[in-house]
Amino acid sequence: LNAALGRAPRQRVRFLPAPAPGGGGALELVAARVPVLADHPLVRGPRFRKLKIGAGHRLDVKASGVFVLGIGHGNKLLTDLYNCHLTKVYTVGGLFGKATDDFSDTGNLVEKTTFDHITREKLERILAVIQGTNQKALLMYSNIDMKTQEAYELAVKGLIRPMGKSPPIITAVRCLQFALPEFQLEVHCLHETQQYLRKMVHEIGLELKSSAVCTQVRRIRDGVFTVDDALPRTQWNLQGIQEAIQNCQLKVETELEKTL
Amino acid sequence: RRGLGVAVGPPSTRQLREAEEAALVFQYAGKAARRKDRVFVWGFSYSGALGVPSFVRPDAGWKKPRRIQPTPYRLETEEKISSAACGYGFTLLASTTRDITKVWGMGLNKDSQLGFQRSRRDQTKGYEYVLEPSPIPLPLEKPQQTRVLQVSCGRAHSLVLTDSEGVFTMGNNSYGQCGRKVVEDEIYSGSHLIHQLKEFDSRVVQVVCGQDHSLFRTKKGTVYACGWGADGQTGLGHYNITSVPTKLRGDIAGVNIIQVSSYGDCCLAVSDEGDVFGWGNSEYLQLASVTETTQVNVPRHLPFKIGKIKEAACAGTGNIVLTEEGNVFVWGYGILGKGPNLIETAVPEMIPPSLFGWSDFSPDIRVAHVCCGLSQFAALTNRGELFVWGKNLRGCLGTGRMEDQYFPWRVTVPGEVVDVACGVDHMVSMVRSF
Repeated sequence: LNAALGRAPRQRVRFLPAPAPGGGGALELVAARVPVLADHPLVRGPRFRKLKIGAGHRLDVKASGVFVLGIGHGNKLLTDLYNCHLTKVYTVGGLFGKATDDFSDTGNLVEKTTFDHITREKLERILAVIQGTNQKALLMYSNIDMKTQEAYELAVKGLIRPMGKSPPIITAVRCLQFALPEFQLEVHCLHETQQYLRKMVHEIGLELKSSAVCTQVRRIRDGVFTVDDALPRTQWNLQGIQEAIQNCQLKVETELEKTL
Repeated sequence: RRGLGVAVGPPSTRQLREAEEAALVFQYAGKAARRKDRVFVWGFSYSGALGVPSFVRPDAGWKKPRRIQPTPYRLETEEKISSAACGYGFTLLASTTRDITKVWGMGLNKDSQLGFQRSRRDQTKGYEYVLEPSPIPLPLEKPQQTRVLQVSCGRAHSLVLTDSEGVFTMGNNSYGQCGRKVVEDEIYSGSHLIHQLKEFDSRVVQVVCGQDHSLFRTKKGTVYACGWGADGQTGLGHYNITSVPTKLRGDIAGVNIIQVSSYGDCCLAVSDEGDVFGWGNSEYLQLASVTETTQVNVPRHLPFKIGKIKEAACAGTGNIVLTEEGNVFVWGYGILGKGPNLIETAVPEMIPPSLFGWSDFSPDIRVAHVCCGLSQFAALTNRGELFVWGKNLRGCLGTGRMEDQYFPWRVTVPGEVVDVACGVDHMVSMVRSF
């Protein structure tokens, strides 16, 4: 960044003494545009000495996926995005038959169970119940009086969301793949942590009268940022970052205007 | 050489893997594990209609009487209950078993709407409040072959439909709603009389109780009615009481009716072609789309252009229909389910499917069944979720709150809801466990 061309030095009009065109010795003041010495690169020093980088919603060590960062002025946008309370989408992979103490497949084994009685239909039924109870929690924590007409209209459009602190809420779950003993879910959630998602996988296992551990948690969408906008490891350079910021700027602005 | 005092160190990956493979495998449910059928009740309990005696008379010192059960509570039953009906303070549960006991009743029994329940203290008298599901003795000719198909309850009378022995009626008969001649000054409390009705043009396939009248639908698609008719709810062309089931004419003559419904004083019938017919009370604009009169005593066709209608249900002041596409329409008076601003309408208004869980994420959710209480509505989706809305009289909605619900709200039931029966202040649902 510092190697890039900085701001051109400011110019100032100064009256400098210059030898007169006539005879020698007499000095005359001539107006000339000279660069200000204070703007000289050797005086000013490098433009950026440190960068303020802020992080968006947390991502575990064992999880992967989209991680939003803000640079410089973007940190203020980060707080605004946090107050928008937009949903995040995860792909959660699970494995039936095991139960561990930290709900993931790298923990200490607690129990092994059979799982051949589980079918995709049973799993989808459990997911429907999870969605149902979380839907109720969504309406309750949004702190809207249920008796008003506007509450009804928001509920019809599906726009009721908790706009403050709330426990983790899952707005939608869907089963993407099911191949015993593995399965994969797509989860849309609010205010959650990855460990909560792993615990949810464990509870799904318990409900199906077996046990399950979580093998993979991958965030594929965080508010307006999707995996397509995210920079892979090979593009962690200045140009990649600049392009990504430019691409996302418009999206972020429209979303903030819509919500706040 | 391993000696004492030598540390073991953390287990290596190979040791962990071997330990895991050697661990015992527990089996909680085998491949043939079947889903169990359960019954859940909620609402006002002091009448005994919930069937849990400990709510009314606590059997342990620390228990307190529970006046209202605000969330679904599991009711233990001996047999699998196939049909349930809620009346005005009492409940009937029926099972399709071939055993001698096929119907159980609980709640108010002041008019013998639950048959004669012999009191243990005094063998000549009967119980006026039945707190537990008690068997109802039906005078069947072949008790070990006949099956009970359906039960229905009104304000103070009940109907039991069997597959080969017609319809049994019991309870209050002051308006002829039990299908037998009205006896002056008859005392209904502690009565042993259960009347049997067999004279219909074909086998009866559905029985429905209104507040003080009864409707019978036969296999041929005809509808019979008896009982109080001051609001025209018997649909027989007059406003008098009828004590013998009589065939209805009017716009439904010759039409194959596939479903009848009533709970208060208004009645709706659905034909196999998707048309809906109504008669009875119209003070709350239920039939205002065809007539200005407040009582309609002949079935009239309701010309609604909302699609082919699959099912209809009547509440006390409002009506609800379900179309083939799975959309729900409401009209009438009261809390109809479209927010606090919609209080009355004569024309059916659709309830947006997004309130039942439909969204871009799950676009195949449809409403499969609708049911009405006196001022509540209930809808079941094809995923087995129960939505209720309406006046929350004594906690009958089951939402856990005491406030009225102006738009459909999910009831959390641990299982897939198969059927629901709504009463005035309580509800019963048949649920299959996961």
